[in-house]
Order: sequence, then structure tokens, then C-alpha cells
Amino acid sequence: MKPKPSRSLIALSTSALALPGISVADAPPTQSTASYKISNYQEDDLSRSEAPFGDLDRYDIDVHQFKLISPVGRNFSVNIDANYETLTGASPWFTSVGLDGDPDVNLSGASGIRDKRTEVSIGARYYLENGSIGSNIGYSEEDDYRASYVGFSGERHFNNDLTTVSLAFSHSADDIFPTDAELFGRVISESKYSSSAVISVSQIINQFSTIRTAFSTTEQRGFLSDPYKLIDFRPDNKTQLAWSNSYRRFFVDRNAALHLNYRFYHDDFGISSHTIDTSWFQNLGRNYQLVPSIRYYSQSAADFFTNIDDFLKPLNEYQSSDYRLAAFGAISGSLSLVANFGNWTATLTAERYVASDKYAAYKVNQPSTALVKYNRVSLGFDYSF
Amino acid sequence: MPLTLRRLSFQAMGSPCEIQIYEESRISAKKITQILSSEVSRLERKYSRFIPKSFLSEINYSAGNSMGIKIDKETRALFDHALSCFEQSHGHFDITAGVLNNIWDFQKKIIPTESQINELLPSIGFNKLQWRGSRLYMPANMTIDFGGIVKEYAADAAARLARKIDVQYGLVNLGGDFAIIGPQPDNQPWPIGVADPKNRKALIAKIDALEGGVASSGDYERYFAHQGKRYSHILNPKTGWPSAGLRAVSVAANLCTVAGSIATTAMIKEESEAIKWLEDSGLSYIAMNQNEEIIRNGWQEPSATAE
Repeated sequence: MKPKPSRSLIALSTSALALPGISVADAPPTQSTASYKISNYQEDDLSRSEAPFGDLDRYDIDVHQFKLISPVGRNFSVNIDANYETLTGASPWFTSVGLDGDPDVNLSGASGIRDKRTEVSIGARYYLENGSIGSNIGYSEEDDYRASYVGFSGERHFNNDLTTVSLAFSHSADDIFPTDAELFGRVISESKYSSSAVISVSQIINQFSTIRTAFSTTEQRGFLSDPYKLIDFRPDNKTQLAWSNSYRRFFVDRNAALHLNYRFYHDDFGISSHTIDTSWFQNLGRNYQLVPSIRYYSQSAADFFTNIDDFLKPLNEYQSSDYRLAAFGAISGSLSLVANFGNWTATLTAERYVASDKYAAYKVNQPSTALVKYNRVSLGFDYSF
Repeated sequence: MPLTLRRLSFQAMGSPCEIQIYEESRISAKKITQILSSEVSRLERKYSRFIPKSFLSEINYSAGNSMGIKIDKETRALFDHALSCFEQSHGHFDITAGVLNNIWDFQKKIIPTESQINELLPSIGFNKLQWRGSRLYMPANMTIDFGGIVKEYAADAAARLARKIDVQYGLVNLGGDFAIIGPQPDNQPWPIGVADPKNRKALIAKIDALEGGVASSGDYERYFAHQGKRYSHILNPKTGWPSAGLRAVSVAANLCTVAGSIATTAMIKEESEAIKWLEDSGLSYIAMNQNEEIIRNGWQEPSATAE
């Protein structure tokens, strides 16, 4: 048995690890990287017994993502992100009581939903001696939705770069103008605004492990209801708080890394949630990496959640049957294979997600029948030049 | 193409250097070595005390200047590490003792007079450095010498750069200071040997290392004998005289820089204190004392298969 490392050894290791050539501190990218990723997200269809009327198909979404990051001069980098999504399918329009007394789901119109979303954002980052500052602006458009946002962030390294504190602020303004509004008696045009702030602290414990903790708060105001639901009336103000923690550890002898994350969330709609996920990044030879991940999520229901739309309730009382406001739990597992060849990196990911009231850690008074299960497959390419 | 061990040599920091990596193509191995050796020469051009235009020479030129000199982040981190060496060694390892190199000439074997030494001692002492923000103010006549730090740091920096450009299996050797990029394929360790100070072709010990670094300090070539005592080129900042403790020491640690700091400190201390220092560190070491006796912890006898 070797004796424990002495205080001298710890002190010398700490100061040596802070040397820029050894430490893992921020540096502007030295290469340009372009990446492209296509994902397909497919929800499991409902069965006829769950939805007696309307379409049985749920959402099928294809996502194309393009990203370019490039250094400019010694201390500056710029990035451009573009996303294009096409979406087909139907989402629940209202829920009603079936003949057996259980809630049924009615999916929206026979033609279903067909939409596309385009998003572009550009950003710039300036690297200082002890940190970096950056800003980005973005714009996103759908047939019935428009959002523009702006964000600022800064980070500073302390304690010989072993500690990093970062702050970020963002603001977004969204306009909602539902399609076929007059036909279905939907709202014609509404807006909503969100502002958020995040503070995070990360600490390098030694050359193998790091921890990070972050607090974020988001304030939303405006139209927060779902315009496509026949009955959906939510408060026009929402405050969200989240506390996120992560731990990373590299195992030299296994040539692998463990990532462990926990997040607690609470908002004043009454929803609290816990998320725990873990991933194992296993390097295989010099060109491949296999990443199995597992995630558990559970939330409590919003105060005004109902699994059966109450058409008799006064219109000024809050209610929503949106499954995302129900109490439920979800388990998902994914497997990624990363392959590196020269300047190219390819990533193939398959994911299975199942939400159910059976997995809930919180008490489920009213189970939602619209909880989703989906498979997601994505393939991405990165190219450095 | 199968993974093949590629060995590429170059000259830097006044020493023969070698990078060993497992690569499929000879051309990409060559490209990688060029990237790594240019990082080593960047640090040499910046911190060599023998290059008049190096940043270290500029720093030394600023001694006594009331304007001070602006220190960049990397150099500041080296000073911070040097402070850690100074504190942990209780002042034995002091980068501000560079001025002693001016009066001790190991090639010509010239011994300075006691008064020459006493004249210089006031311009030595890490605690005499003054900082205001990123500006450093050095007392007149002080000279900084990053010996025992920069070559080791360069080995670690080259190894880290190699990992950053996805080299998995490799070893950086800068004149006997080793930093491991990653183990040999199939997680095999790199055997690192220590040559006998009396016979450079024979090994006296070896260690199998999967990660981290190995650094050595010794008086193999640069030493002289005076009145029956053997003096190494490593100078004791407290007395102004060369140390006469251990003859050579090699240390394995999590980083080559850490190994170098522990080894250099051990060389400056008296023998018994040096052995205690090495034992307390908890690291694997091998040392040779003035009587050519070997003291070791964690190092193996060289096997018959070693070169």
C-alpha cells in the first residue's frame, strides 16, 4: 500500500494543474467545425380504445440541424446555427369521458397538423485572459409561431482556473397566431415574453473529476395556454426555478468517463420535478466511443390540471388537460455510437422514451391518457477544417 | 494499416528529445510530432535563459526597474507553481536564485569566493517578488531561472496537446523528462528506465507507467569535486553553494511537472532530509547518494529484457 499523498504533493499538483498547457480551461477554438445532424422523432400511435375519434397518429418530426463555429483572429469566435424541422401528426384537442367512465383523448382535426419550423441564430464570443464573454441573437418561425431572442453570457475563471463562475441572461418575445383560428374559435393572435437568468459554478476537483452546480430562474408572462385546445386556460404569469448538478469522472484504467446529473425544478403552476440521468462514455480503440445512457424523470401535476376537460367550469377558472401538466414519471434509455475518422466524426443515436403515471414518484390523482412514448433516431456529422 | 510504434527525435531545450506514438500512418505521425515539437520550442523560445530575446530574458532585464513588467497568464501560472515549490520545499527550491549561475561555472570549474556569494544572497528570495495586478516588480540583480519546471511543464503540455488532437497511445521524452500521452495499445504500460549515473548505457531501475510523468534530476554530467566533496550543478539558494546531498533522483508522479518539482527539491536538500521528503511525498522514487548507494521505493530492478 502506498501512503496517502502528502500535503506538499497536493499543493504541487494543484499549482501544476493550473498551468495553461495542462489545465482544461477555456480557449478559443483553433479550428472551424461544421456539423450537420438529422433526427427523426416518432411518438407511438394511440390505440383506438384510447382515442375513439379523430386521427390515431401522433407527432412524427424530422429535424435538420446545421452548426458552424469558426475562430476569427486570436481571441474571437463566431457561430451560426440553423434548424429546420418538419412536423406531421396530431396532438390531443380535448379529452372527454368515455362510455366506461375513463377519460378518452380526442386528437385534433382529421387533417392532422402539418408544420415546419425554421430557426437561425448567430453568436460571437470574445476570450479574455481569465474568461470569456459572448452574445447571441436568434429568430424562429413556424406557421403559427414566431420567436425572437437575445442572450448574453460571461464566464470567469478563479483559483488558478480550477473554479469557473458563469452568468447568463436571455430574453425572448414570442407571437402566437393559431391556424384556422376562426374556424375553431381559437385566439387570433397572442404574445408571450420570457426572461431568464442562470448562475453556475464549476469546480475541478482533480485531473479526473469535476462538479458543477447551477441555479436558474425564468419569468414568463403573456399567453401561456395552448391555443389549439378547446378548453385550456392557464395563468398569464409563471415563475420557474431550477437547480442542476452534475458530476463527471474519468476512469483511466477503463478508458471511460461517468457523467451523473440531477435536476430539481419547481414552478408556480404547482409543478415540481426531479430528473436523474447517468451516462457512461466508453472509448473503444482509437476511433470509436459507445455511450449508453439512462434517465428518470418525474413531476407533480399543475394545480389546475384535469384529465377530463370540464365544459361546465366558469371560463375564468384555470384548467388544462395538457399531458405535460399531469403528474407522471418517464424513463428513457439511449445508446450512441461515435466514430472518428480523420477530420470527420459521425454520431448515431437511438433513444426510447416512455412516460407513464405508473413511474410517477409524486401522487397521481388524475392520470393523463395522452402521455407519450417515442423512439428517436439521429445521425450527425461533424467536420473540422 | 496496423498501429505501429513511430519514434521521432528532435533537439529542444538543450536536450535530445523523442516522441513515441502508435499511429497507422507515418505521415500523420510526422505531422503530430511537428505539432508537439513546435509547442516545446514555443516554450523554449519563451522561457530559455540562454535566448536573449526570450520572455524570461525580458523579465530578468526588468529587475530593479520601478515600472515592473506585465506578466501573461501562462507565465503567472509558472510563478504560482514556483511559489508552491518554494513554500513546500521551505525555500530550498527557489527560482529567484538564478543569479548564482553567473558566478558558478561548472564547465571551467571556477569556485566563487565567499564574499562574491554573500554579495548576491540579498538578491535571492521568492518572497522579495512584488506583484501589482499582472505586473511583476523584481529587486535589482535578481535573476529568475525556471530550471526544474519549464522542461517538465513542456513535456506535460506536449502530452496534453497530443491528447487534444486525439493521440491515444504515446510518450513524450524531453531529455529524460517523460510525460505519458496514453498507455501503449491494450492498456500496456510504458517501461521507463533510469540510467546508471556512472555508466549511461546501463539501467539501474525501471518503472512501468500507464499515465502521468517521470522526471529526473542529477549531477551526472555537470558537477565538480572540491576538497574531496562532489558538488552538483544544482545550487542551494540558502547558502549559495551547490548541493552535496543526493547524486541523482528520479520520481514518478501524476504529472511530469510535479515529479520535477519533487525531484529538484530532493536534490537541493541534505541526504537524510531529501529521503524523508521523497518518502513523505508518497511517490515512487529512486535515488543515489554520495556513496553510490541506491535508495528506492516503487521502482523495480531492471529486467533482463530492458535495453
